[in-house]
Amino acid sequence: MRDLVFVGYLALILLLAFKRPFLFTLIYAYIDIIAPQRLSYFMLNSIPLSLIVFGLAVLGFLISDDKKDVRISPRWALLIMLLAYCGYTTTIADEPVFALEKWGWVWKALVFAAFLPLTLRTRVRIEALALTMVLCASALIVTGGIKTAVGGGGYGVLVLLINNNSGLYEGSIISTVAIAIIPLILWLAKHGTIFKPDWRVRVYVAALIFSCLLIPVGTQARTGLVCIAVLAVLLLRFNKYRFMYAAGAVTLGLMAIPLLPQSFTERMETIQNYEADESASTRIAVWSWTLEYVKTHPFGGGFEAYRQNKIKYEIPVIDENGLDTGDVLSQEKEIVDEGRAYHSSYFEMLGEQGWPGLVIWLLIHVGGVWRMEVIRRQYKKRAREDEEWVAPLAIALQNAQIIYLIGSLFVAIAFQPFVYMLIAMQIGLDTYLVRRRKEAAWRPIKQRRLGKVAPPEPAPNSA
Amino acid sequence: MIDNFSILLSHGLLALAFWYLLQRDDMDAEAPPVPDKEPEGFGHQRLKPGQIDNAAGDTPDA
Repeated sequence: MRDLVFVGYLALILLLAFKRPFLFTLIYAYIDIIAPQRLSYFMLNSIPLSLIVFGLAVLGFLISDDKKDVRISPRWALLIMLLAYCGYTTTIADEPVFALEKWGWVWKALVFAAFLPLTLRTRVRIEALALTMVLCASALIVTGGIKTAVGGGGYGVLVLLINNNSGLYEGSIISTVAIAIIPLILWLAKHGTIFKPDWRVRVYVAALIFSCLLIPVGTQARTGLVCIAVLAVLLLRFNKYRFMYAAGAVTLGLMAIPLLPQSFTERMETIQNYEADESASTRIAVWSWTLEYVKTHPFGGGFEAYRQNKIKYEIPVIDENGLDTGDVLSQEKEIVDEGRAYHSSYFEMLGEQGWPGLVIWLLIHVGGVWRMEVIRRQYKKRAREDEEWVAPLAIALQNAQIIYLIGSLFVAIAFQPFVYMLIAMQIGLDTYLVRRRKEAAWRPIKQRRLGKVAPPEPAPNSA
Repeated sequence: MIDNFSILLSHGLLALAFWYLLQRDDMDAEAPPVPDKEPEGFGHQRLKPGQIDNAAGDTPDA
């Protein structure tokens, strides 16, 4: 039954897209985020759905889009460079079979991220992409939020639609993404034009943000709690009533503690005692291994290079009071492990793609934070009524990226397709604004000749 | 039950958004922006304050 519903739904939205081909691009984003073929039992599994829809999206762009509006930016070139470089390291990978497997989805994420900015030629398209991403993520977040609220959460226990640990369905990843999109949700609620801000939007947004905040509780991913703290600090930056906001946030946080499940508070307390925690000790051991590894492999070992590691680490014995008894070696527990994952995007990039890969990746991300700051300042200064939406969107995208950059310190999500869509949106917004500024630029010679500014010409399709 | 509710809500809203987008002509092509009242960057620095006021005054349509 579920199969039939999904097939019917896809057929319906694909039919709509034949009228407006940009919708194919949004449908690809939907398929990439939710992966309806995973929710389906057999029908959608048997066809290369994402390939077909991506083909339609490219075809739609080639046939119906106005290519004169297409712009590229330095970060777009960096994306292409990263794609080429990853392709190269895959050919020389230490773990060729696993590397090829990861390359199989990474190249798709990067190609789509490079394709997206070319299509984001209007404000509505940028907003439509943001809305699609939020609504797709909401499919997982709403179910996770409700299940957590009724007491169904737990580390590695919370099942989001399907029992699968890939993509957004993994606990730490959805925790990071759920918090990272909160600024975007707030922007849509205030500046959205597809769903115009009214009481229904406000109620939905409040419930969705509450669900987003519940995801780290439900998944018990410590990364999520760190991300919430980062979000709280970031929201403080542009708040007029900072002290009231800070006091309110602290009060709410304290009030929430007794309501949180005991297993959650216990797990979060391990952030302080990271030395006693196996998961945290593994991270530190893998990171040390990676630093040693790149001394001999500065260009990285290709995807999944971590599989060759053999790490040894020690966990101090903690007494019943939570204190490190620590002085006697025989009391320490020694653990030997093989093929431990990076548990950090930075070390994932370093180990797999070496220093060049890490530098390109950092340039893409830090460049994004910087460009959004430039846009924010520029549009605050321009202060035009028709551009009121720009600076808040730049702030939202910047905040989302900072939350991701902090969250990814502890989770290996350097190639998470959802994040590349956010980057693509930043690049699209940036190039769109450059073009619009050029179109709106002051023209003194023309003005002098005509005695006034020529009125804007109507767009070919505008109503 | 919870899963189905979540799938229904998100997919319903997405389909509704796509439906609204079908009616939006400005999704594929936008009207040109209203011209700036004054230059930016170096051009702005070269102009004297009086010139900016005049330039702004010359643009009743802006």
